[in-house]
Amino acid sequence: MSAQDTVLVVGAGPAGLSAAATIASMGKKAVIVEKEDILGGAPIISGYAKLVPSGEWAKDAIGRMVSRVEGDGNISIHKSAKVTQVAGEAGNFTATLSNGDKVEAGAIILGTGFTHFDSINKPEWGFGTYEDVLTTTQMEQMVTAGQIRCPSDGRVPERVAILLCVGSRDRQIGREWCSKICCTVSTNLAMEIKEISPSTDVFIYYMDIRTFGLYEDKFYWKSQEEFKTKFVKARIAEVTKSPDGRLLVKGEDTLVKRPIVIPMDIVVHAIGMDPNALNPEISRTFGIGLEKHGFIDRAEQYTNSQGTTRKGIYVCGAATGPEDIDSSIAQGQAAGARAVADLYGQQKIAS
Amino acid sequence: MSDNSTQQGVAGHGAFFQDTNLSANEAEAATAWVRSHVDRRTMDLGERMDDIRDHMWELEKEGEIIVHRLTDQHKPVEVDTLYGWKKRIPTNQFWHHKSCGQCGNIPGYPTSILWFMNKFGMDYLDETDQTSCTAWNYHGSGIGNVESLAAVFLRNFHQAYVSGKQHGFENGHFYPLVHCGTSFGNYKEIRKYLIESAELREKVKKILGKLGRLVDGKIVIPEEVVHYSEWLHVMRNRIASELQVMDMSNIRVTVHAACHYYKMVQEDAVYDNTVLGGNRTAVGTSVAQALGAQVIDYSTWYDCCGFGFRHIISEREFTRSFTMNRKIKVAREEANADVMVGIDTGCITTMDKNQWIGKAHDMNYSIPIVADVQLAALACGADPFKIVQLQWHASPCEDLVEKMGISWDKAKADFQDYLKQVEQGNVEYLYNPELATNQNINMKAGA
Amino acid sequence: MATYAEMREMFDEIRADFRYDHELNGCLNCGICTATCPSAQFYDYSPREIVQLLWTENVEQIYDAMQEKIWACAQCMTCAARCPFKNSPGGLVMIMREVSIRHGMQSAKDVLRPFGRVMLKLITTGNQLSPDMIQPDHFPDWGPNIQKVEGDLRILRKAIPVRTLQTVETAWEVSLKTSVEMYTIWEMTGVLKSLETMDENLFDVIEDFIDEKREDYEDWLESQNDKD
Repeated sequence: MSAQDTVLVVGAGPAGLSAAATIASMGKKAVIVEKEDILGGAPIISGYAKLVPSGEWAKDAIGRMVSRVEGDGNISIHKSAKVTQVAGEAGNFTATLSNGDKVEAGAIILGTGFTHFDSINKPEWGFGTYEDVLTTTQMEQMVTAGQIRCPSDGRVPERVAILLCVGSRDRQIGREWCSKICCTVSTNLAMEIKEISPSTDVFIYYMDIRTFGLYEDKFYWKSQEEFKTKFVKARIAEVTKSPDGRLLVKGEDTLVKRPIVIPMDIVVHAIGMDPNALNPEISRTFGIGLEKHGFIDRAEQYTNSQGTTRKGIYVCGAATGPEDIDSSIAQGQAAGARAVADLYGQQKIAS
Repeated sequence: MSDNSTQQGVAGHGAFFQDTNLSANEAEAATAWVRSHVDRRTMDLGERMDDIRDHMWELEKEGEIIVHRLTDQHKPVEVDTLYGWKKRIPTNQFWHHKSCGQCGNIPGYPTSILWFMNKFGMDYLDETDQTSCTAWNYHGSGIGNVESLAAVFLRNFHQAYVSGKQHGFENGHFYPLVHCGTSFGNYKEIRKYLIESAELREKVKKILGKLGRLVDGKIVIPEEVVHYSEWLHVMRNRIASELQVMDMSNIRVTVHAACHYYKMVQEDAVYDNTVLGGNRTAVGTSVAQALGAQVIDYSTWYDCCGFGFRHIISEREFTRSFTMNRKIKVAREEANADVMVGIDTGCITTMDKNQWIGKAHDMNYSIPIVADVQLAALACGADPFKIVQLQWHASPCEDLVEKMGISWDKAKADFQDYLKQVEQGNVEYLYNPELATNQNINMKAGA
Repeated sequence: MATYAEMREMFDEIRADFRYDHELNGCLNCGICTATCPSAQFYDYSPREIVQLLWTENVEQIYDAMQEKIWACAQCMTCAARCPFKNSPGGLVMIMREVSIRHGMQSAKDVLRPFGRVMLKLITTGNQLSPDMIQPDHFPDWGPNIQKVEGDLRILRKAIPVRTLQTVETAWEVSLKTSVEMYTIWEMTGVLKSLETMDENLFDVIEDFIDEKREDYEDWLESQNDKD
């Protein structure tokens, strides 16, 4: 593989898989380096259920993306490997992998993704103290299993609370961004819960509802009209345990203007997207900059889209900031195209 | 319904609620993340969270202030705070910063602290040259301002800094230990304002200059503001292993953590991964656990006690309604606790004094109220009257004492005998009383 | 009833406090402050409302809130601990209280009148509640059982094995020099001025007391000089 033929793609989540497929479809070679031992990124590793907005099972949808690259002769894959060193420059990089291999590439694409917010960083909301406090990813696993049950005693919950913005929009824990897709994921989850367990009512506690674009009626309105989801504009202060064994959420119903303490059987944290915990390492290894929240910094988007602070290295997907899967896939294609243009030596960046 | 895929992977976040049929090793691997506590609140927050102490050291470098340092002589012990930052707690050579409410109506509170220090052979100075922090008044009446609070803070901590000199020691010999939660929260906040505002520093420097309380023309700021409950927390294992004589395993304890301890300047409060999983502040609870007592959770753990600073004195319906409904009743009915333990003056006063009145509202709940250090002292055999001074508690502490196997009546009778001695002028002291008042005594010379 | 200009002036004074920008960054109207506020459970009070009024610069309603509402706050600071914007509604209430007192608002005087019983003790000794105030007749609703050993208060306090605590009229024994230092701080920072605005009679009594103490201190200093 010569450098002029090859693009190194780091990360095999939706963004990286999309980038690799794009590169191959344009007649060039892609080398994927993935640090886990399975491909697919967060939707596969964290066991997502049905994706939004398509409603397809993650295993099927992302699974198709994985099969597409696995079967492709122009794409080689290194699993359980990381890039430990990068030498050279745009047009001529040499990357050393943790498994000892070296990859020569004319361009590099980072699809290194994000890390789920860990709710132990928000202990007053009960995660880690009470068994019936879960995260959305855990709830997705329950949906996959087809049963909605309280982890503590297996009973069917009458009332499920979903707390939005856990690990997002919160200066108390240094996370002042919005994680973009959790509103849509949460409203979707509310509908799935109701579908699986018709006797369960779902309450969503929010500061704002950001089911953007065409998601508004598909998710926010539909979850109310067809699935009777209740929305309360209240950010919950604390989750404690009631004498009868249920959980108590304490908030102020800001529209009715009254403090509330409501018993719930399950409390779900709609966790946000943190920058990848390995970003400081990635920044050092690839010689690229991070922006102030800790995500990978982007070049100007107008004529240098998907560029990083280093020429020849591109970034796509949730590595740059909270991102939904569809957009990550689109960005992966964009990065793929930029990289291939490098290989043809055809770049034109406005000065 | 899809097939139950077991591709749970490495990024899973917790309990799996279906039989996984994993081998012991596989199960261990799957749940090891729970034990790793990696990056709990130490996750690289970069510039997103600011530690005021960094700025404090800068100021000292610039010659703006003097920092009263913790040295090896103070035998500091490291603890974690909310974001995983480190805090150092002195364990020797203290200057006691007393609490109005404790000294006035819960005298067993500071007495128990000094009693423990005697047991451990720790050096300390307790003297008359200390003013109230004035924060109770500030939060209660509003007849005060940041300047007055700041001047008082610097005045007291200056005295702490120079107090060793009169006894033949160097500046900084005795390190201030703050007894009251209100003082603690207040001093944390004021220290932050002083470090952040050059304007405030200028204003108070003039005042301190007039009082003769500058060192080389500079204000003195402590490296750490330390609450006594943090000291008790780092001493808890020694207390349990060296001094404890009573079995506490049948004592059900609920803990009330003071708002001004952990909610004010939140980043500066002790959190410990081995106490409540690091999910709630460790002080108070850690001591009860170390003593082997049963610590019971309750639904209103995070609630304020209702002290209100002003309300407890002049709007008492609020204080007593709140404390009875949200703390006393809950501790009794929900947790069936034998004692509610607090770590602060105001909370103890509120919860202790507002039970009797409940009868007027058909709320017949009562529960003994003591401070963590008082409970620990009892467990170590301290006299309930002479040292723990439970005779000043309105709540039924006699019930707690009896349950611990101590005879309240006998202790009372002994104490009454002692009172006769006191009348004769035969008073026992925890430290040489001259040290409190006589500026001419030299501690170092072995007074 | 104040004029709009007067109300505006008070609002400007609140805003000019150096803590204001720290404690009010904006508001997402999430309600977490009111959720956790003990006073919101008991009074018609909401820290979120206070923040919204300040943020939207609603001068008249801010003035209204300064009548009674701001005195409902229990100063627990749970609001500041929870706010995702890192505001401090409790801190803002403190600023509003200070401004209300400096302007001698009648509502402040009314609210603080019952607190006056401790103000004298407070300003002169720095302590809020002294042992001689913890008697059944002082706070009858604390019950008759607040002292479980009968006897002379002086003796009972003498039985505390800590020298500084063997007092009856103050929480601990404070040296004369220390008291005088505190008075100097009260004076130089305008606290005595605020007190005068709130309660002239009390202020007069306190002033006399302070003057007396200062004289005592001067005398003592002289006697020290004589000794040398």
